[in-house]
Amino acid sequence: MSKVLRLDKKRLDEFVAALFSRYRLFGPVDSGGLMRFAEVESAGALRLDIANPDESAKGIFFPQTETLLTGNQGEVVPTQEPDRPIAVIGIRPCDARGLLMLDKVFGTGEHNDPYWTRRYRNALIVTMGCSTPRAGCFCNWLGSGPFSTEGSDIALTDIGDAILLEPRSEKGMDFLKGIPCEEASAADLRKAADIKERAESSMAGKVDVSSLKSALDRAWDSPLWDELTGKCLSCAACAYLCPTCHCFDIQDEKASGTNQCRRIRIWDSCMAPLFTKEASGHNPRPTGKERLRQRVMHKFNYFVDVYGEMACVGCGRCIRSCPVNLDIREVLVRFINAG
Amino acid sequence: MANVEQLLRDKVEELLKEKKVSCVIGHARGSTAFRSTPVFARSEADTDGLIFDITCGNNLAQYLRRCDRAQGDRVGIVAKGCDGRAVVQYVAEGQVKREDVLIIGVPCEGVLDHRKVRDRVQDRDVSRCRVDGETVVFEGKDFEVSMDRSDVLSDSCKRCRYPNPPVYDVFITEPVEAAPEKCGRQELEKFEELGASERWAFFEKEFAKCIRCYACRNACPMCYCEECFVDQSDPQWFGKSTDLSDTMLFHIVRALHTAGRCVECGACERACPLGINLSLLNQRVEREVRERFGYTPGLVPDQIPAMAAYNEEDKQEFIL
Repeated sequence: MSKVLRLDKKRLDEFVAALFSRYRLFGPVDSGGLMRFAEVESAGALRLDIANPDESAKGIFFPQTETLLTGNQGEVVPTQEPDRPIAVIGIRPCDARGLLMLDKVFGTGEHNDPYWTRRYRNALIVTMGCSTPRAGCFCNWLGSGPFSTEGSDIALTDIGDAILLEPRSEKGMDFLKGIPCEEASAADLRKAADIKERAESSMAGKVDVSSLKSALDRAWDSPLWDELTGKCLSCAACAYLCPTCHCFDIQDEKASGTNQCRRIRIWDSCMAPLFTKEASGHNPRPTGKERLRQRVMHKFNYFVDVYGEMACVGCGRCIRSCPVNLDIREVLVRFINAG
Repeated sequence: MANVEQLLRDKVEELLKEKKVSCVIGHARGSTAFRSTPVFARSEADTDGLIFDITCGNNLAQYLRRCDRAQGDRVGIVAKGCDGRAVVQYVAEGQVKREDVLIIGVPCEGVLDHRKVRDRVQDRDVSRCRVDGETVVFEGKDFEVSMDRSDVLSDSCKRCRYPNPPVYDVFITEPVEAAPEKCGRQELEKFEELGASERWAFFEKEFAKCIRCYACRNACPMCYCEECFVDQSDPQWFGKSTDLSDTMLFHIVRALHTAGRCVECGACERACPLGINLSLLNQRVEREVRERFGYTPGLVPDQIPAMAAYNEEDKQEFIL
C-alpha cells in the first residue's frame, strides 16, 4: 500500500475535525466507566488511549434497536437515514474484521440488507492497532493479530508522541490526501514495529484451530455439550457483546407516546428460550444445551460452510463478560482434543 | 484459605465416597486467576479442582434446580452465606426439599467484583491472586498489584449481614463473624437524600447501559420462573427494545418480583457485563419488606414468605 504518514498528537484534533467535517463520526467514549462506541463531535470526547472497548462496534452499523418504519393509519413511512456517511475511529482490528464478516451476511452475499448496506458501504474505518491486548483476547488463534489491517481504510498506530497513519484502501488514501502530514521516519516505523511485536508477544499461547471445523462436524451428539452447558446461565451477554453475532427479530409495536405503530428490528440471541419457540408452543431447542450447541456450531461450523471462515474474531468479550467464566477458548480446545 | 480448600476437598471426597451425595456443586479456578467457575463434582477425582476463596462470587444455589439427579439422591452445595440463604428461600418457597440438599458451609469474608479487579490490573492476565490480611495481591507476567480488599470487594459483600449459611449440614472450619461496621446501608441512605429528579436521573443513566442480555436475571437464584414475564409472547407484555422505557420497566418489575425474596447476594451485579448498579432498587425493597413485615428472606426454612403470608396486623395505611 501507500506510504505511512506521521501525525503529531498535538494535531489529532485537526485529524478528528477533518473526519467530522465529512462523516458522522463514531469512536470509543467513557460512559460512566463503561467503554463503548458512540457518536462524537470532537476529539475531546474520544478515548483513543484505552484498550479495546467493552462493547463492540457492530451496533454502529447494526443497532440493537432499529426502527425500520413507522405506520400511521395506513400510511407507511420508512425511517430516513442521515445522508452523511459514517466514519469510525479507534475501532480495533478484531472489530473491523467482525464488520467484514457481517458484511458477508448482510451486504455482499445472497441477501442485501439495505439498512446495513447504506451504513457500511460508504463508511470509513479507521482502526487503531491494539498495543495492549486484554486478558481473554485471542485474535491470534483466528488467523489475525492485534495489528491486522483487514477491513481497515486507515490503520493507526500510537507511537507515543505521534500517531502513524497507514492508508489501507483507496478510500483511506483519498481521505489522507486532505491531511497534510509528513512521512513517517525510519525511527518511527521501528518504534511501531516494536510496539506491534510487544503486543503480539504479550498474547497468551496460540492454539491451532485448523481441525476444529471437522471436529465439530462429528460433534452433534457429543456428551461434551451436556458437560459444558452445566454451568451456562443461558444469558445473552456473550452474543450481545460479540462483534459477529447477528441474529435479529422483527416486531411491530406501538411507538411510545404516539398513536403510531413502528416496526423495529432488535438483536436476538440463540441463547434465549424464545429464539426458536414456534407458534404451536413447541421449541426445537428446548434447553440450554441445544442453545449453546447452536451458538458454537453457528460460529465455528455452519458459518465456515456458508462463508468459508469462522464467525469469531477472538476479541475476548464473551470471555471477559461471561458471569460464570464459561471460556469459549476452553470449549474450542475441548472439541479439538475430542477430535 | 489453603487449609479451607484442603478440608473442603477431603470432605467432598468423603461425601461422594460414602454416597451421601450424588453431586457437589462447587467452585473451580477460572481461566484467569481472579475468576472462578462453577463445577459439578460427581466423582472423587473431580474434587481436586474444588476451591473456595475470594474469587468465588457465583451464587450456586440456582444449579440445585437444574442439577441432574435421580429420585432420592441428595445434592451437596458449597455455600457462602448468600448461597445458603438462597437454598433456605427455595425450601421456604417449596422449590427444593431441605432433605434433598446437603449444605456445606464455607467461611466467606466477601468476594471480588471481577470488574473492579479488571480495571485495577489494567486488563492483564492474572496468574495468581492471594489475600494477605486486608490486602489482595494479583500477580501476572511482569507485574504484581496490591489492593485494599475493600476496593475490590463486591458492593453487596460490604453490606453483608449474613456471611454464614443460616442452616448447614457441615461447616468447613468455623463460621465467620459478621462485621457490624460493614453492615451499613450508607449507599441507600445517601441516595435517598437526593431529590426525586436526581434519583430518576440516576436510574436513567444506569439503565441506559442495559443491553437486555438478562445475565442479571439468569444469575439470580430467585429468578426461577419457568417463563419470565419478559419472555412471554402470547400475549407479549413487554417491549423488546433497548429504549429506556422498556429496559427500565424490566428492571423495576424484576425488583418487585424479587421483593421479600432477594437474598442480597449481589450475583446480578457481578453478572452484569456493563456494570449497572442493579442492587439499589433491591436494597430499598428489602428495607420495605423488613420494616413492614418484619421479614428477612432466606433465614428460616419453614417460615412462610412475606409475600405468601397474610396477617391482619400488617400495616395497610396505604390503602386506607
